[in-house]
Amino acid sequence: MHIPTRWIKILKDIWSNRSRSLLVIFSIAIGVASVGMITNAGLMVQRDLYGSFAEGNPASLEIYISPFQQDLTSAVEAMREVEDVQARRVERASVLNGEGDWDDLTLIAFPDLTELEVNQLNLVEGRMSLGVREIALEKQSAEGLGLAVGDTFTVKMDDDRTYDLDVVGIVHDLYGMPYALLGEVTGYLNLDSLKWMGKPSYYNKLDVVVAENKFDQEHVLGVGNSIRDRVIEPSGHKVGSMGVPGLGSDPGKHWAEDQIDGFLLILQIMGVMAVLLSGGLVVNTVSATLVQQIKQIGIMRSIGAVRGQLIAMYFFNVLAYSVLGLAVALPLGLLGSWWLAEFAAGFVNFDLTTVNISWQVLTLQITLGLLMPLGVAIYPILSGTRMSVYDAIYQYGIGSEGSGWLDRVLMNVRNLAPPIVLSLRNTFRNKARLVFTLLTLTLAGAMFIAVFSTRASLTVQIENVARYVAFDAALGLPYGSRKQTVEREALRIPEISAAEGWAQSIGVIVREDGSESGELEIVGLPYDAATIDPLMIEGRWLEASDTSKIVVNDDLLDEESGIGIGSEIRLKIGNRERTYQIVGVTSKHLSGSRIYMEYGSFGQLTNRPNQVDTIRVRGNLETFGSNVEQDVIAFQLENRFENANLSKSSSITRHAIFGDFTDVFDLILVVLMVMAGLLALVGGLGLTGTLGINVLERTREIGVLRAVGASNVSVRQVIVIEGVVVGLISWVLGALLSGPSGRALAGAVINAVMQADLSYTYSFTGLLLWLVVVGFIAVFSSLAPARSAVRLTVREVLDYE
Amino acid sequence: MEIAKISDTNGRENGTLIKVKDLVKVYPTAANGVEALKGVNLEVHEGEFLAIFGKSGAGKSTLINMITGIDSPDSGEVQIGGVSIHSMGDDELTRWRGRNLGVVYQFFQLLPTLTLAENITLVMDFCDTYPLAKRSDRALQLLDQVGIREHAYKVPSKISGGQQQRVAIARALANDPDVIVADEPIGNLDSQTADDIYDLFSDLVSLGKTLVIVTHDREIAERASRILEISDGRIISGRSNDAPSNERSTGEAAPSPNLVPPRIRAAI
Repeated sequence: MHIPTRWIKILKDIWSNRSRSLLVIFSIAIGVASVGMITNAGLMVQRDLYGSFAEGNPASLEIYISPFQQDLTSAVEAMREVEDVQARRVERASVLNGEGDWDDLTLIAFPDLTELEVNQLNLVEGRMSLGVREIALEKQSAEGLGLAVGDTFTVKMDDDRTYDLDVVGIVHDLYGMPYALLGEVTGYLNLDSLKWMGKPSYYNKLDVVVAENKFDQEHVLGVGNSIRDRVIEPSGHKVGSMGVPGLGSDPGKHWAEDQIDGFLLILQIMGVMAVLLSGGLVVNTVSATLVQQIKQIGIMRSIGAVRGQLIAMYFFNVLAYSVLGLAVALPLGLLGSWWLAEFAAGFVNFDLTTVNISWQVLTLQITLGLLMPLGVAIYPILSGTRMSVYDAIYQYGIGSEGSGWLDRVLMNVRNLAPPIVLSLRNTFRNKARLVFTLLTLTLAGAMFIAVFSTRASLTVQIENVARYVAFDAALGLPYGSRKQTVEREALRIPEISAAEGWAQSIGVIVREDGSESGELEIVGLPYDAATIDPLMIEGRWLEASDTSKIVVNDDLLDEESGIGIGSEIRLKIGNRERTYQIVGVTSKHLSGSRIYMEYGSFGQLTNRPNQVDTIRVRGNLETFGSNVEQDVIAFQLENRFENANLSKSSSITRHAIFGDFTDVFDLILVVLMVMAGLLALVGGLGLTGTLGINVLERTREIGVLRAVGASNVSVRQVIVIEGVVVGLISWVLGALLSGPSGRALAGAVINAVMQADLSYTYSFTGLLLWLVVVGFIAVFSSLAPARSAVRLTVREVLDYE
Repeated sequence: MEIAKISDTNGRENGTLIKVKDLVKVYPTAANGVEALKGVNLEVHEGEFLAIFGKSGAGKSTLINMITGIDSPDSGEVQIGGVSIHSMGDDELTRWRGRNLGVVYQFFQLLPTLTLAENITLVMDFCDTYPLAKRSDRALQLLDQVGIREHAYKVPSKISGGQQQRVAIARALANDPDVIVADEPIGNLDSQTADDIYDLFSDLVSLGKTLVIVTHDREIAERASRILEISDGRIISGRSNDAPSNERSTGEAAPSPNLVPPRIRAAI
């Protein structure tokens, strides 16, 4: 096959500059693969999670009701506003795990698992047609407990009796919070099994799909109110709670959809930045190639090459980089999207059906991979081939002198060692290239620091939340108990120095026009409670005399417009209503809307004087116990309360709450760090490219330096110092940019994963760490160009005429 | 645009192939500029071997760059084959030069990543002369002509300076131009190699090519059929050698042009 020699030249040039070619190929690949990875993962999640979610007929509304029979379900189903309804019984119990401990268990009972109308389950293994004494486990729970079909499942009910059930099926439930996130086991059985386990065969929850406007929250809640007012309450039942399923999601949406979409958006922004940075590197590399080949360009023009031919040659060069970059990016992006989608699948419990790449993603990657490098290369190619033949052949290798104010300032710097002075002046000689390199490194640095600031902000956010969880252990009292009894019982445990009972209830605000707010939590607690350290953002905390005063959290102010400090609001719990004045607002703390009131006032409002629902204890009022100490206290609390017949619930420790919490964030931060690392890598490659061009451009100067006696060390020093100066400038600029970029990233991440507002903390650790990283990048990036400079012989570099 | 070959046109006046008229070139400097050429006039006849001799800084390289169109004059004109080359646009001049002039540089200026044969086919490729399938054969013929066919598939860094200059000459012949222009072509070579290269030039003249070389070496210049001496931007003397010397500097008899092997002549 005969190939025109000019194309052969380009291919051979690419091969002979392998390291530089690889640099730009990988740079294109990283940018394109990042975008492909994130977009494709997003599409796979959309297909497998949101698609499967929608197929299973998700509930628009969930209503917890006092025990009821099938006839209530039929009555609700008969309403024209309701499309589908499914009754279930949700029962709390414990399960024996492989280590001999009891884990929290949610048992969900249906008449028949194979005929679910709403929130349908998918069979993974075994069968869903269950008999008595048989159970199907949610797949993540089964994996977590190490159980499979055929194994025995030991359940302890709240009356302390234990039952052995046969595991006959593994099912996938897309609608519940997964085991990986909550650490709670979920099992499904039929009502007959529950009856066999001593429970009456009642239902206590309705999952409802509304007939119209399924995605309109207001409409859905309106239908809920109609169900309550027209069917549930007239039939003598009570609504415990009612709301849209999920974590503040809109109706019909997967409970984690907002979080996943938010997180993917953040990654997408970082992917676009990686593309921009790799574009910068393409510009640098193409410029380097053209600078290196200026003389060759002159020669080619002298032997008959017209400019159009040269332009075509160098575009072909970039096209070759693009095609090779794409060849790496496409499989890399697919692998990355597989990893990311698996990460999401494990996180929110869905199955990745197939790993494929959609034609949209393929088109996006190919377009980006081809057009971005060609687009950014237009300017350097056009300007690099514009030089006259004479200049190209006879003027190459002579660096130009700067004449701006900065150059004049630098000319007055004279008290430093000559190599340092030369490095400083060299740094600013080609300002356009310097700006380009600085832009790349600055963006990388700003993003790196921003990730650390996000981490710091999350930590502070968690610490703020921790102020509301200021106990070593807490134990739920499902049926309520006398305050004095439970506090006395707890204080009998020698390790416990403080114990306080809290009461909780669900209520609503009755607005002036008679309408009611959404449900909110009302907490009754001692005004001087030791197990809460509220962060007041306005007003004050509760005082002893606050019989009709309350403190609300900031979430409530977001939910209910027009209220604030000094406002009087009417609270309703059941049929009882009272008016209270708001005296303080606490920070948000992942609780949703919440009202705190003095314990005595709470008793009056609920008509449950002296009753508490939770006991919260501390071993030492000065400091929190270690993880082990907290576990010991929790164990003793459980035992003591079980023996005293006060509670059979499992206790929870402070470290367990925040351990799970931080694990989730650490995973997210790992993904962000990977992206920041990629950006730093591309930034470093950019600096290498720039210094490489600088060495090429100043080949003759380096020759002169060597001719006048500069040692290898001195020549190397000039290049490395130049790299370090660029690195330091980029660090300063990155530090300045990292303030707003960190705030934006941290805000986006916290909003995506916690659905909370930002409490921003700048990470000085990140700033210092980036100084170290950029220092390494600068030195490391300078080494190869410095080595090239040292390798040049005096004769070689002075052979220009 | 189709570029005509000089040999296909009737642009010669009385056998004059190159005509330089009142050529002036000033290089700008901080202090008003340096006048490198101060109204140079010269004529080169078809088949002539002209040496332009002068000391460093005399303006000889500037003059040759004006003749090749690599640099442009401030005033005056260069006509080659009746064509005023500096009146052409950049791309037109480039194409014209590729077809009609072979340029040889002091430092050979071969492209380092291409083989010797590819360095030659590249010229044909740019000018789209010779069919694609025949370019390699022609490149090998030309390498054979300059005596280094056996190195055809090596890259320039693998051969000596003298061999590189032979390749540069073969490259200059790639499109079979009528005029060869060489800028200090043997200034960077040892004396034995310089003699060999000089012989190659003589052979080309004997085959009808017009050759213009610049050199700072009087002894080299003396071997051309005509010598022009340039100093301070002006031609200060010119004379013809009645018997153009093919003598080596050692005084030995040079081979007669008739001794050029027929296979080489056929290739030119």
